[in-house]
Amino acid sequence: MKNIYLPHIAEIVDVKQETSDIKTFTLRFKDKAVGKAFTYKPGQFVEFSIFGEGESPFCISNSPTRDSIECSVKKMGKVTQVLHEMDIGDEVGIRGPYGNGFPLDELKGKNLLFVAGGIGLAPLRSLINYCFDNRKDYKTITIVNGARTSKDLVYKDEYKTWEKAKDAHLHLTVDCQEDNWTCMVGVVPKILEEIKPTCKDSIAIVCGPPIMIKFTLPVLMRLGFCPESILTTLEMKMKCGLGKCGRCNIGNLYICKDGPVFSYAQLNGMNYDH
Amino acid sequence: MQRLITKQDLVNKLTELLKDFEVVGPKELSNKGIFYQVIEDAKELYLGQDFAIEPIKKFFLEPSSWILRHAKDDVSLESFPQSDKKRIVIGARPCEAKGLALLDKLFDSEYKDDFYINNRKRTIVVGLACAKPDMSCFCTSMQGSPAETSGMDALIFESGDGFIIELVTDKAKHILGSIGEDIKEDQKLNKDKMKALVKKVIKTPESLDKVFESDYWDEVSRPCISCGVCTFLCPTCHCFDLVDEEKKRMRCYDGCSFPDFTLEASGVNPRPTKKERYRQRVFHKFDYFKKNFGENLCVGCGRCIRHCPVKIDIADIVDKAPI
Repeated sequence: MKNIYLPHIAEIVDVKQETSDIKTFTLRFKDKAVGKAFTYKPGQFVEFSIFGEGESPFCISNSPTRDSIECSVKKMGKVTQVLHEMDIGDEVGIRGPYGNGFPLDELKGKNLLFVAGGIGLAPLRSLINYCFDNRKDYKTITIVNGARTSKDLVYKDEYKTWEKAKDAHLHLTVDCQEDNWTCMVGVVPKILEEIKPTCKDSIAIVCGPPIMIKFTLPVLMRLGFCPESILTTLEMKMKCGLGKCGRCNIGNLYICKDGPVFSYAQLNGMNYDH
Repeated sequence: MQRLITKQDLVNKLTELLKDFEVVGPKELSNKGIFYQVIEDAKELYLGQDFAIEPIKKFFLEPSSWILRHAKDDVSLESFPQSDKKRIVIGARPCEAKGLALLDKLFDSEYKDDFYINNRKRTIVVGLACAKPDMSCFCTSMQGSPAETSGMDALIFESGDGFIIELVTDKAKHILGSIGEDIKEDQKLNKDKMKALVKKVIKTPESLDKVFESDYWDEVSRPCISCGVCTFLCPTCHCFDLVDEEKKRMRCYDGCSFPDFTLEASGVNPRPTKKERYRQRVFHKFDYFKKNFGENLCVGCGRCIRHCPVKIDIADIVDKAPI
């Protein structure tokens, strides 16, 4: 009997404190054969088990072109609170990968505009590094990354690499002016209006809090992006990750199985609760 | 293939089958009503026309069941062992068996759920046709009928002092084909005629898309007390939760009528009021499932209507949706 709900045991091999309430965990499967067989696409997610507490879904935040499996987790509910107490050598359960991931073939040969807010950079980081590792396949890469304060920015170590890369632009922004802050100030949609990225031959990939997405979409439309060329990755409470437990649907589509990556054109045609 | 059997034939056959099979059927519990249970003695079976309160679903998708645990070595995980004992269900109604056929579409497709599939594979379902549908039944509006055989291996009909048995699958022919006697042409049942026994008839729109934003959902969900009895007693509701208890994990029923079904750790709830939750229930059954699997996720058994403490009538609500 094959048990689709059975996780594999993985060991935490590194923990990095990103912000006061976000940590990035690096994982390695205990069973080497499982690790070898585990492949994924940027944008896919895994179900994380903390035994005795439960399961929660997290996107894989690093690129499949890199060696490890990393997940960035914000301390929120009971699973994430216990996870934040865990350290190198502790064991968790992992099952997946699940979901559709980003449409990598459609992105080839395009200018890419990444728009991220807060922890929303996690799924995009997987794709950003994937694109840098396959640089010749993509044209200009523009990253707009915002957070409430500079202390809430994640993956700070990687900004230099992204900035220095050929044909790449990184725009960092915080909501309000701070001492010693030399980058941009203002919410993400406002920054987009200022920098006016080209819509020609471009695809925008957006992830962040609902409020950011709500105000970013009209700006992108004004800049000339069509709904088909705006991608976003969604999340909702999930249990099974397989389209069976019945909670994460938007209309007839399940975020876990048919998403989490959707185009704005797809979402426009759907009935959703909020 | 139809055959004529006496009550005694049936009791004798079940008594014989009890040696190798687990037998599940309706039992009358004093002061409680009719419940499907494991039968120890064929004489305990209730084969009258009153409906069981819970559908037969609970023997295929259990209200709660362990799915995995830490292995003895404490390092690895293992599935909970599942029974492979052969099983015969007798007396399930056509609507409930059709419910199984609908659950098959979800659990026995893309990402197969072997817990459910194992329960289906080890079981022969022998249904009982409905001679007395009640005022909540509306199976004929859901492509069913009091004598529908979808999801079943065989179906028995009350006929005089005994039964007519219709053997649908080879599995049933193999096990039950030898009992009773061949039926004469003029004794065969007119199954189409039985459809007229169902008085509640509703129309179901092809899609509910247009009324998603309507205030109608506010109005019809107002009496709801979010008790979830409709979801637990529904032969097709299958939403579940995964819950840990120390070193074990169980799957248990959950339902879209509960506020915390979609409540996120951040405090955000995409379905914060009864309006969104009841609309989700109606849309899942009469729109989304149809888009994904080609059929309504409702069999018209009437349980959610019969047992709703505030008399919400889903059939009426769908029928009157302002399309």
